[in-house]
Amino acid sequence: MTFAWKAAGLTYNRYLAVAARVVRRSLKEDKRLIAERRGQQELRFAKWTNGKQGEIQNLAEANAQAAVESAATGGTH
Amino acid sequence: MLSRAARPALRAGAAVSSRAAAPTATFATLREIEGRLKSIRNIEKITKTMKIVASTKLTRAQRAMNDSRKYGQTSNEVFESAETKALEGEGKKKLLVVCSSDKGLCGGVHSGLSRYIRRRSLEDSNFDLVILGEKCRSQLQRTNAKDIVLNFSGVGKDVPSFTEAQAVADQIVQLAGDYSGIEIIYNKFINATSYEPTAIEAFSEEAIAASPNFAAFEVDEELLSNLREYTLANSLYWALSEGHACEISARRNAMDNASKNAGEMISKYQILFNRTRQAVITGELVEIITGATASEDM
Repeated sequence: MTFAWKAAGLTYNRYLAVAARVVRRSLKEDKRLIAERRGQQELRFAKWTNGKQGEIQNLAEANAQAAVESAATGGTH
Repeated sequence: MLSRAARPALRAGAAVSSRAAAPTATFATLREIEGRLKSIRNIEKITKTMKIVASTKLTRAQRAMNDSRKYGQTSNEVFESAETKALEGEGKKKLLVVCSSDKGLCGGVHSGLSRYIRRRSLEDSNFDLVILGEKCRSQLQRTNAKDIVLNFSGVGKDVPSFTEAQAVADQIVQLAGDYSGIEIIYNKFINATSYEPTAIEAFSEEAIAASPNFAAFEVDEELLSNLREYTLANSLYWALSEGHACEISARRNAMDNASKNAGEMISKYQILFNRTRQAVITGELVEIITGATASEDM
């Protein structure tokens, strides 16, 4: 069983997040505003190497970036 | 009579020379006490407000915690009936995910987690750390900086959402390291005043595949990675919500205690202030009376 999203290099959680976003956006106006608040996140993160903190990045952007990269390499996740 | 009158006069004479220093000193302390009283009152106001804010947030946080706990337990039911056990990874590292938050002023919530990690690292230091929240990062940076591989900030501003948990899980899944299993460390909510650091196990694919009753579920091998990612997000969501509820209730208690302490200090300082004021007035009266009697005699 192969999935289109897996072939495109998305992780399962990424796939779920995209699907959830689509559902939220297609709701009616009043419900959409409430639902979209649940979809917001402003997390930042940093990678550490040898006990040193690396650059602080925006998590949402980095996740999207990672998805694009793994899509480019053929999606071997 | 003369000797009696002479003595205060003498003292008054002596006081004249030292007047510049002594009375201003008592006035200054009076003003000092007043200033201190004012600042303690302000602190009390702030802590009281924070307590009220925490109280109102608490009900929402607790509701989210109950829901997410049910959700997480349901999600892990598969592994219970499949009797999944964590693999004894031979020399493989474990990944510990610590769920704290960015904000302090809530008692020992964060340091409890940090202490738990330090205790673990004394027993067996073969693990890597992923830290959610600035508080535990700054605490564990001092002792376990070498083990940290990822840290997230911006956690716990509001009731955690599944979107956040999912994004975090996504980033953790993409970590390069080969781990024998993931443990999520969070504060388990026991009651309003107590909580303890607890671990939720998030199994690796091999562990799920190796569990004794897993064949009963008839799940394709290929789907295991999806299941693993999804349950990781579920468990993270559970841990984050429960940790958040603990933090809010701990903050409420901490602020309650702080307001109580401030109240005690205020009453103590109020008494001191009144006594000092009385003393200053008495002192002034004595000076006036002695001055009057002295001039009467002459």
